[in-house]
Amino acid sequence: MAMRELVTGGAACAVPGSFFFLKPPRLSEIPTSATTISDGNFYTGTDEQLNMLPGFDHPLQSNGQGAEFFPGLPPSRSRVNTPLRPDFDGPPQRVLSSFLHSFVNSNQGGIPFHPTPLPVLGLSEGDKQCIRDRSSIMARHFFADKNEDFINAQVNALLSSLDIDSDIQARGPLRGRFRELEGYWNESQGMLKPGPHAADGWVNEFTQHRVQHGDPNAWAHSFELQHGANGWASEFEHEQSQIASVNQIGGSNIANLAAMEQTRMLAHTLVQNSDPKFQNSKFLQFVSKMSRGEIIIEDNQMKPAVASAPGDWAAAYQQQYDGGHTWADQFMHEKANGWANEFAAEREQHGSVDQWVNEFSKLQIQDWAEEFGNQVGEGALGENSADNWANAYDDFLNEQVAAKQRSDTSRGIYEFSDMNPYVGHPNPLKEGQELFRKGLLSEAVLALEAEVLKNPENAEGWRLLGIAHAENDDDQQAIAAMMRAQEVDPTNLEVLLALGVSHTNELEQAAALKYLYSWLRHHSKYGTLAPPEMSDSLYYADIARLFNDAAQMSPEDADVHIVLGVLHNLSREYDKAIAYFKTALKLKPRDYSLWNKLGATQANSVQSADAIEAYQQALDLKPNYVRAWANMGISYANQRMYEESIRYYVRALAMNPKADNAWQYLRISLSCASRNDMMEACDSRNLDVLQKEFPL
Amino acid sequence: MPVFKTPFNGYAVKFSPFYEHRLAVATAQNFGILGNGRVHVLDLSPAGPISEFAAFDTADAVYDLSWSESHDSLLVAAVADGSVKLYDLSLPPPSNPVRSLHEHTREAHSADYNPVRRDSFITGSWDDTIKLWTIDRPTSVRTFKEHAYCVYSATWNPRHADVFASASGDCTVRIWDVREPGSTMILPAHEFEILSCDWNKYDDCVIATASVDKSIKVWDVRSFRVPLAVLNGHSYAVRKVKFSPHRGSFIASCSYDMTVCLWDYMVEDALIGRYDHHTEFAVGVDMSVLVEGLLASTGWDELVYVWQHGTDPRAP
Repeated sequence: MAMRELVTGGAACAVPGSFFFLKPPRLSEIPTSATTISDGNFYTGTDEQLNMLPGFDHPLQSNGQGAEFFPGLPPSRSRVNTPLRPDFDGPPQRVLSSFLHSFVNSNQGGIPFHPTPLPVLGLSEGDKQCIRDRSSIMARHFFADKNEDFINAQVNALLSSLDIDSDIQARGPLRGRFRELEGYWNESQGMLKPGPHAADGWVNEFTQHRVQHGDPNAWAHSFELQHGANGWASEFEHEQSQIASVNQIGGSNIANLAAMEQTRMLAHTLVQNSDPKFQNSKFLQFVSKMSRGEIIIEDNQMKPAVASAPGDWAAAYQQQYDGGHTWADQFMHEKANGWANEFAAEREQHGSVDQWVNEFSKLQIQDWAEEFGNQVGEGALGENSADNWANAYDDFLNEQVAAKQRSDTSRGIYEFSDMNPYVGHPNPLKEGQELFRKGLLSEAVLALEAEVLKNPENAEGWRLLGIAHAENDDDQQAIAAMMRAQEVDPTNLEVLLALGVSHTNELEQAAALKYLYSWLRHHSKYGTLAPPEMSDSLYYADIARLFNDAAQMSPEDADVHIVLGVLHNLSREYDKAIAYFKTALKLKPRDYSLWNKLGATQANSVQSADAIEAYQQALDLKPNYVRAWANMGISYANQRMYEESIRYYVRALAMNPKADNAWQYLRISLSCASRNDMMEACDSRNLDVLQKEFPL
Repeated sequence: MPVFKTPFNGYAVKFSPFYEHRLAVATAQNFGILGNGRVHVLDLSPAGPISEFAAFDTADAVYDLSWSESHDSLLVAAVADGSVKLYDLSLPPPSNPVRSLHEHTREAHSADYNPVRRDSFITGSWDDTIKLWTIDRPTSVRTFKEHAYCVYSATWNPRHADVFASASGDCTVRIWDVREPGSTMILPAHEFEILSCDWNKYDDCVIATASVDKSIKVWDVRSFRVPLAVLNGHSYAVRKVKFSPHRGSFIASCSYDMTVCLWDYMVEDALIGRYDHHTEFAVGVDMSVLVEGLLASTGWDELVYVWQHGTDPRAP
């Protein structure tokens, strides 16, 4: 029975999510549009206004009416024509330009380098700010492989060679610290919460968890409500900036010296890069030169090797690097107080910052938070901010634990109902099959649970349980059951197809292809088509080709057409998918799950009106098909017929109040239909009130 | 194919959506760190060299530009002094820019004209905001402020007039609907700064993101737990990413590794073209809407290249 049951019998959509059960966010292809309250059009005018713009109707016509693009608005010349910088050939700019380009241009033989006494540059505060900020931000792009201190050092060296103070807070370093901190969060979280998600950042984790529960904005909003617009990030940035300035009062020189040391390491790394393009890069030569600026200016002359060997800066650097300790070096080694020194020394011992980060994150999180709080306190900050931060982190941890508990279900752990009256039933499988046939899905689930509790190795029991959950619109349980079925019977074709479909719904192409390929391989008729060596690397085109071969081999096999329909959903070729499903329906016109698939595909390709017809066919064949009722609601919502959609959601929920997704959709439709008066009934899941208000 | 030498370092290049022979280039002095900027409008000729149709000087670096989708002579430039400038090629240089919009408090880093609602454009800035403008208003229509760090690029959805995506140094991409008060979706797409994003022109749910982590990722915004594809191959930060207007699965990218790459994210060996012609950071790339397979790139080597995919950009 298995195969036929699954493919034709309606549960091929044992699937989380969509395809056969489109989540509203997926409906109109863009996450927002379905949930958007449509009358909030920000444009003052609409299309009419657009059309009134001159030239709109004839966009290709080259016209001379430029200023008329702004009817009624006199061109504000005074602001528009901002004068250029005094003159790019003027003395200050030319000096700067040659300073910046000296190294760059030296191999073109144009401009010999003149180390310029820096005050002559006459950089304005604004210019300095530009150089400081832009080089800070850009350095983070160039030197992404390097750690934060390295980048800071690089920037500081560049700034100091241009005599720009680094004591004014540049933008980059603040952000850099923030990012570093984020690293700690990830690290510590990874330790608390091992498993496949450990590598993801908390943002990722947190967002996902929220999204599963409906509103992707929710967490951001709630967090902002609690913590203000920028949340802990800005809070922490703020703290950091204060700490940084405290440090600078005591140790800006030390920081600069550390910077020089770091810069030497950068240049050292660049020397290691053997790519001739990088060795010849004018920009990197420029950076390298800048990084040695302090020393050069200290000496007030160019080292001949550098000046005379354009393009050979690496060698020049190497020479210098090998040439023994500079005074900066010595200072570094002799003076052991100051955080910068200690930090640098630590780094030398351990060789890598990563190690330090690791060590740091090995500390008990609570201790660390406390310790950090103390440090912040001593660092001339109020206790309050530290407390807030620690509290926010505690909240976050709690959230994590809760999220973990919830996510266990989605990872395929089946949750049994309490109080199952079918436990002890002599033949729960037969009872379950009977209940399923009658369309009493929730009852069938209980009976089948009793069966798999009694016989955990019964693949058919698990499979039918998965189908029942899917039809009842409980995808998480459906997947969990299907995975158990596959464990017991790895070659069961129905199960493989159901899992392929479910991963298609989750847009997990690789997994979907894996299961669909297995289906083909284990099929008695088509197994020979599938070369076993393919299983390592599956590509969409190959799989589609194999199934096309299978379809040619036996054009009367509806199952192959169904898989092809599923595959073309995967590649988003919805028109083709619809054609395949229609072919299959000619062979199996009474397959209600197939009608549902057709409807979902039509909805995906924005043919919601057609979809409603297909769903209606499915419901005529199987009136208790909860999923089709809910899908129907989605299609109406898609067409902005929110009142209609509410009625269908309520009907679906009346049949299975546990269908969490449908509750979410109902909420959205209520809000779109401005039925806020029913919101409370929705939130308290009061079906009596809802059914009375929205009869179908 | 032809080459054009700009006096300053290139920052961005864009083909005109109206004329197949025309493109605009944004440039900046001193690598955009300090100095002036210039917008070049260039014309290709069938066999000859690239000629300059017009040029506009600015008081600060020009980081990006975008052609108007409604008027063939109009383009908008994102300038490092935070200003957003509109240029009309049909007017003489002294009359330009026709408008200069000063609202961003820091460097304006990207500009994108709305391809659907063709009277509006967005700009992304290092002041962490995105601003929405229409050409008939002297001030921005809206400011979107949620990112915690620089916004490096903001791009309209090719099909939905109200939807755009923004890429930020806060390691997220956000999806916005201008009718909504806040962002609709937050996509923590990379663990490092995200420098660029673009929408698939054939599937309005798919976006590509380019990051300092050297990778390009392709995402379905409806299911963003796992990327559809991760494209590895650049050896330094990826500066820009751009979906092909002709082939749904084709992506062009440029990187600080000085190369321009072409990818097909649907196939096994995704890297289908690698162009090594720049000798400094490659920071601008575009694909012509009007001529299939025609690419343009610019970089800090002060050169603009235009070539057909599969040919050598440096070939005379």
